[in-house]
Amino acid sequence: MSGNEAVRPLTSSEVSVKLFVDEQSVVRPLELIAVFHQWIKEGALQDELVIDVANYEHVPKGPGIVLICDKAHYYFGVRAGRWGMRYRGRRDARATGEGAIASAFGSALRAAALLENDPTLEGRYRFRTDEVEFGIYDRLLAPSSQDTLDAVRPGLTSSLTALYGEQPQSLELVSGPKEPFMVAIKNAGSPSVEELLERVPAPVG
Amino acid sequence: MEGVGSWHEKLKDRIPEDLGREVDIFETQMELRRRGEVDERLFAETRLRRGVYGQRYDNGQRHDGTRTQELAFRDHPTKGPETFWDAPGMVRIKIPYGKMTAEQVDVLAELSEDYSDSISHVTTRQDIQLHFVHIEDTPDMMRRLAAVGITTREACGNSVRNVTACHLAGVCKTETFDVTPYAEALKEFLLGHPDVQAFGRKMKPAFSGCAHEACGLVNMHDVGYIAVAREVDGKVERGFEFFVGGGLGAIPHPAQLLTDFVTEEELLPLTQAVCRVFARLGEKENRGRARIKFLVAKLGIEEFRKLVFEERETLPHDPRWTAYLEDVEAYREEPVRKGVALINGALTPAFRAWHDTNVRAQRQDDYAVVTVKCPLGDLTADQMRSLAEIAREFTGDTLRLTVEQNIVLRWVSQEDLPRLHAALDAVDLATPGAETIADLTACPGTDTCKLGIAASRGLVAELSNHVGHLNGETDPAIKALRIKASGCFNSCGQHQISDIGFYGISRKKGGRLVPHFQVVLGGKWVENGGSFGMATLAIPSKNIPEVVKRVTGRFVEEREPDETFTAFIGRLGKVEVKRFLQDLSDIPAFEEDPSYYTDWGDPRVFTMEDYGEGECAGEIVPLVEFGLQASEREVFEAQLYFDSGELEQAKAMAYKAMLTAAQALVKTEFHDITAEPDQIVTEFRARFHETKRFHDKFAGAKFANYLFLAHDVGGNGGRPEQARDRVQEAQLFIEAAYKCYERIGTAGATA
Repeated sequence: MSGNEAVRPLTSSEVSVKLFVDEQSVVRPLELIAVFHQWIKEGALQDELVIDVANYEHVPKGPGIVLICDKAHYYFGVRAGRWGMRYRGRRDARATGEGAIASAFGSALRAAALLENDPTLEGRYRFRTDEVEFGIYDRLLAPSSQDTLDAVRPGLTSSLTALYGEQPQSLELVSGPKEPFMVAIKNAGSPSVEELLERVPAPVG
Repeated sequence: MEGVGSWHEKLKDRIPEDLGREVDIFETQMELRRRGEVDERLFAETRLRRGVYGQRYDNGQRHDGTRTQELAFRDHPTKGPETFWDAPGMVRIKIPYGKMTAEQVDVLAELSEDYSDSISHVTTRQDIQLHFVHIEDTPDMMRRLAAVGITTREACGNSVRNVTACHLAGVCKTETFDVTPYAEALKEFLLGHPDVQAFGRKMKPAFSGCAHEACGLVNMHDVGYIAVAREVDGKVERGFEFFVGGGLGAIPHPAQLLTDFVTEEELLPLTQAVCRVFARLGEKENRGRARIKFLVAKLGIEEFRKLVFEERETLPHDPRWTAYLEDVEAYREEPVRKGVALINGALTPAFRAWHDTNVRAQRQDDYAVVTVKCPLGDLTADQMRSLAEIAREFTGDTLRLTVEQNIVLRWVSQEDLPRLHAALDAVDLATPGAETIADLTACPGTDTCKLGIAASRGLVAELSNHVGHLNGETDPAIKALRIKASGCFNSCGQHQISDIGFYGISRKKGGRLVPHFQVVLGGKWVENGGSFGMATLAIPSKNIPEVVKRVTGRFVEEREPDETFTAFIGRLGKVEVKRFLQDLSDIPAFEEDPSYYTDWGDPRVFTMEDYGEGECAGEIVPLVEFGLQASEREVFEAQLYFDSGELEQAKAMAYKAMLTAAQALVKTEFHDITAEPDQIVTEFRARFHETKRFHDKFAGAKFANYLFLAHDVGGNGGRPEQARDRVQEAQLFIEAAYKCYERIGTAGATA
């Protein structure tokens, strides 16, 4: 890929970050419906215009409970068999390049922190940070391929270093050719969600 | 619009020209609406006819359980009355007779991930719906669909909706013949047909291969066809019983027989005649009475029949009426594998339970149809991709959607069934209980529908917990019953033709609203949705599971030998049904049990504040306004050509815009005007120019002459530098056409 082409995947609005729940057995997805409705009522997600809650708990390994926002969706889902919170940008990217990565991490971490601290959940939901899934739901700009991974690797590595410090990390393409582009990130470090949130760069502009 | 790296660019060699052009036109219409140059009502009907539908909360208001919050969408022009541009909506994707190729399934999976929430929802009319889609994504979505031969055209709005048919067509043991190629022919013939553009409401067609099974549901359709055959001079002749005027909704009507035998040759023209009568005489003002069932009821079937056959005699001949018969002759569906019988060996209990309810033998020896039970009609993108692979391996590339929100795999060699079961089980699609009481149906209800009153999906999810596990040990009497729920009286969940049906309503207790469902019992699912159930009484949502338990329990205990549920309910009678369910209508005080004041799956205190104006009825837009809008879009395109230096194209498009506007005016008086330029100009000259009706008060014939001059030089004739003038003249001609339309009034313009 040429230099110009190499930055294109990160011009997409459809960047996603999934944080996995540490103890999968504590998850009771239906209780998230009330939590998400409460978030809407209280305006808990300050950067989002939140529209509704969608319940797909009846679909195995599905998107789970979804918070539908104007510019993003937040899935508390179990795709591929593991519960977690996925932020997924939908439109009007807030940033591009490394800014897009930082923005997506920031949004996912904020939602995860809200869940960790939600009084009705009694602290049962903790998110691990040594494993994260990064993706781009945009088959035009970011087809699931090694080329796309090569294109996003510099920005992703740099963003992860800003978050995790100089810890060893690995990036592995985990999506098949027909799936959305998805990368498994593994870090040697495992800071808390709160710690990571403090390190997320402030949005530009 | 188009650009390097766009789907437009990427798929340009794969999209059929006509489909691609349609999407380009829609994208231009969107741009014109964004600029405020198209009326919101007209744009609403335009997008509806492209399958782009509204969704709950798109009016920018949402009740959070305590108060109604304003959703601060950006201040763009609306995409319809009280419908914010930025609010996500639903896209309905027509899947004619439910048939999809593996490649199409793959693309649907991609679209659900890229533009929706990773869920494809199978509807009760063999469509697929994607929710939470932003309108700016719809042109690319349509292009990606067009590249695999799917259009969303006329999926919503006042048009001919998806042509449905039995999912077993061609493989069913009870069918007279395979209706698939006829459904395909009707779909092709009516899509975009000029005679189906001026309805007061939608028209839903359905085909069935036989009279006694349920699958085709002809009895509840606007137009329906049941395959029949007769012998003439020793030869078997195919035809159809042709029904009209069926429909559910608040006031269900059983379809009536228009004719007991329409031949293959007359199938399309007679349907066309029905469409013309409906367009001409159907109600246009009162939306609640605008479906064809009301017209048939008003005129009586005898008079309606007379009008249709008279209309048939006036139709200009169309070679397509019979050209499709070659396709019927050639139509084949080939299996990918040789049919071999299943050997009853070491089959697991899970396989046997699944085989018992989800597998049926085909008409063809050693082949089986497998039903994939989809909870609430929902499938994830991962499941869709797996289904596509399964279809490639086991069925010869296709599958079909069913009106019970499931999917069937046909032409499965019976010896492959254990392997297929394992493949489905690996993606959680081998749940037994298909087409039994455990296979419940629900419309979207308050989850996403603006008209939803109660949570039909929430109710059905809850009921599934009660009856979803029932399998082999279930009493056979209740095993075959159907349970269906609608979020309101509009009946998208088809509750009226189920054994046990529910539709959402609300009631008040102590000044607070309580979600309820009206209980409808004894509808007939078989015989194409043969009769409608009896509305009994309103029960709070939270007591509905107990209703199911009591009703089924009493049926098991008291039914007579071979008595059907429909007959049983008829025997009990409404008074007795009410009596034994009456106590369940009691509502505890809020302080005593607040759960009654919330709906299934929604913790908010129940409210009707989010109830909105539905788009099912579309907008009544006179045909002439569609024509004038098209001319505006064309002159906009002419301007784009001019701006990019393509002067010949600019002139030609400007001329075409004038022709379109003139044709729209002529159409108010001469419905069958063709798109032939000479005819348009001749008719326009005689009807509007020579009568001076097109004349401007001050400029006289000036604007009409723009058209005549352009026509005289052959549209794009003249010097290139005249392109600017031609575009401006076209703009002025269209303005004059609008003024003329205002002067002549709308009387007759909707015909």
